[in-house]
Amino acid sequence: MTATPTPRHIADLAAAVRATSAQLKLRPSRDVIAALGAAGSRLLDPGDPIRAEALDRLPESSGLSPAMCVAVLDGMAADWTAERLEALVTAELGSADALDGFVTAGRRRSLAVGPSLAVQIVAGGVPGVGVNALLRSLVVKGPTLIKPGRGDLLLPTLFARALAAIDPPLADALAVVYWPGGSVEHEDAALAHADVATVYGADETVRTLRARVPATTRLVAYHHRVSVGLVGREALAGERIEATARDVAAAVSAYDQRGCVSPQIVLVEEGGAMSPADFAEALARALAAAGERLPAGRFDARQASTLQQARSTAELLAVAAGGLVRHGLASPWTVVLESSPQPPVPTAGRFVRVQPIGDAADARGALAPLGPHLQTVGVAGLGARLESVAKALGEVGASRVTPSAAVAYPPAWWHHDGRGPLLDLVRWVDLER
Amino acid sequence: MIRSSDESARSALPALASELERRFEAGVAAAWSERDFETLALAAFRLQFESIDAYRGFCQGRGATPATVRRWQDVPPVPATAFKHIDFVVGRERAPELTFRTSGTTLGTAARGRHLVPRASLHRHSLLPPFRAHVLAGVERMRFLSLISSPAERPDSSLSYMVGAAADAFATETHWLVDGTGGLDVVGWHTAARDAAKSSEPVLVLATSLALLHLVERLETGPASKLPKGSRVMETGGFKGSAREIGRADLHARVESTLAVPAGRIVAEYGMTELLSQLYEPVLIEGSGAAGTYVPPPWLRVRALDPMTLAELPAGAEGILAFFDLANAGSVCHVLTEDVGSVHDGRVRLSGRVRGAEPRGCSLAMDELMSLARSAS
Repeated sequence: MTATPTPRHIADLAAAVRATSAQLKLRPSRDVIAALGAAGSRLLDPGDPIRAEALDRLPESSGLSPAMCVAVLDGMAADWTAERLEALVTAELGSADALDGFVTAGRRRSLAVGPSLAVQIVAGGVPGVGVNALLRSLVVKGPTLIKPGRGDLLLPTLFARALAAIDPPLADALAVVYWPGGSVEHEDAALAHADVATVYGADETVRTLRARVPATTRLVAYHHRVSVGLVGREALAGERIEATARDVAAAVSAYDQRGCVSPQIVLVEEGGAMSPADFAEALARALAAAGERLPAGRFDARQASTLQQARSTAELLAVAAGGLVRHGLASPWTVVLESSPQPPVPTAGRFVRVQPIGDAADARGALAPLGPHLQTVGVAGLGARLESVAKALGEVGASRVTPSAAVAYPPAWWHHDGRGPLLDLVRWVDLER
Repeated sequence: MIRSSDESARSALPALASELERRFEAGVAAAWSERDFETLALAAFRLQFESIDAYRGFCQGRGATPATVRRWQDVPPVPATAFKHIDFVVGRERAPELTFRTSGTTLGTAARGRHLVPRASLHRHSLLPPFRAHVLAGVERMRFLSLISSPAERPDSSLSYMVGAAADAFATETHWLVDGTGGLDVVGWHTAARDAAKSSEPVLVLATSLALLHLVERLETGPASKLPKGSRVMETGGFKGSAREIGRADLHARVESTLAVPAGRIVAEYGMTELLSQLYEPVLIEGSGAAGTYVPPPWLRVRALDPMTLAELPAGAEGILAFFDLANAGSVCHVLTEDVGSVHDGRVRLSGRVRGAEPRGCSLAMDELMSLARSAS
């Protein structure tokens, strides 16, 4: 992993991984799930040296604080057990049997065939995303070559090592490699052998890759996303406001707000027992507490400079627009209450904007500009309105509406960005009589 | 844009500005005691506090008013980014004499800032003495070859304005050798360089780092274009925001071989639209050992601040640079920049620009998102 492999090396590796496909397809899927789960569980087991190494090296490789690394590993690896993997397969394909033979569903009799080679190009620095991605391919018996994001190299590497100790033939169906993001030569070398390509990254990354993927290769693209919070009146009374603020603060703080699920704006209903300003103050207290419990990670002078510009500019804008700014000084969290939406400036650290909203039904209009990028909406205090509001949010573009407390770690079987993550990888074969 | 109102400051700016112009005229070698600076700095703060609503509210929010602030260091600094959203100008009932716009950022033109300058003469008084000291360095007048667009081409560029004002004051003749989009007039260059060689009169080349690179690349494949002895280059801007970047030493070696101007005669300028004064590398005065440090004029003080707490750092420690520029009397004097560096004996050393911030993950930053929304609509 230290030296960057040459494109030629990548091409050879991709061919070798692909060559395992036929053997892998012969294996019972529950056997594969068991092996993957056994490897994944090692990252959860407090007594396992692989987990110890992960926690030892993650702070340096990811830039997250040691305490946050524990939280993120626990949150992510919870989905890497055999039980969760089987639940994922069941949710997506009906049953793991569909990977082993033809199964009847309604009037159809079908078999799900995983890719011969899924090449996965992942950008970004949220630890665990790479392992999730490689598991999705292997669990459908699809060999995979993955290039994780710069801040997420460690866990896929350790997972591959764990798998090699448990099930060497299955480990041969996995290659974890790294090349500098955007290297066309490396990407093309890998893609030439792929029948499925997945990409996680900026819109621009997706766009350039889409233009180069061969016509017969299926492209599964996860472009950049943004998530928000929506707090209803029912959550703005008595003790609930503190609990809600705690949940929202946890969602903002997780992964130092790097995740696509991380809320960046929180819409707060007016007309409750407490005001949006009260909520902003409660959120500031909760972010301060979260910063103690799960400290922020590496933060260099350049990021600090961006943060100082953002904080002071928000203060200046708040004077004219009637808002407020609360921040942790040396602790890089910031809450900005915007009485009317203010121009966004580049931010750093855990930085969240609170915007008052007349009624939750108005969220639709407020979020419309985010439409194609909107992902998770963490909700609280909507009471009986939850389903109707969720429906409206879905129509605007959201693909996940979840309690604030659950925002940070979506379940293994979620419709990632509104799609079936395994369904996107398999090809159905119908057997008609 | 939020406009700020002005009441009592109307008459105070001309009085303060006249005093400042008189002091600036004495040049960069004039003695400025800490007390001189502080008195003028606090007078400017009072003016700006009273005149600019958003700034007043900002200062009050931090408990800083002309009654409580005793030291210039305690005047709240305004972030450079805020120039994109707020007009900081004293005396808004009169149209500003100059309007400078910041160059676009990665966000595009929607996020360009502007600096309204109510009094052009104060600006001219601040820019000429440091230019004379560090760029002319003992020569009265020179021939100017400018690879920076003329003020006529780029009326909203503070850099073009500065070069134009310096040319008016110090040039025997001025050749504007790029158009408004930065396109190089190679034929014009060769003509001007040949004329200079014939006259043996040293020339001053003014250029951004990128323009200088373009020039040497063109000259390396064409006829020789050595400049007369005593010629010099004023270089500004680095490669910020450009896809092309080469090392400074490499660029300077190529300048020496194509133009016959040695590295020790290339003076780097450091300035920004938000600050009306400039800093220079004192290489012509002190020799090439001074390369890498920037000297402010005595009416500009610079400090490195703790990146998180913004507390002042000891000499030599690296932090975020904040400038207090009395030439900004008509807007805001105390500006917190995005630049990271250290300060020693009042001089600035910039830290290498760190490219590619920490991985942001799969989330999209709000500002990027809004710029996407804007470009889509």
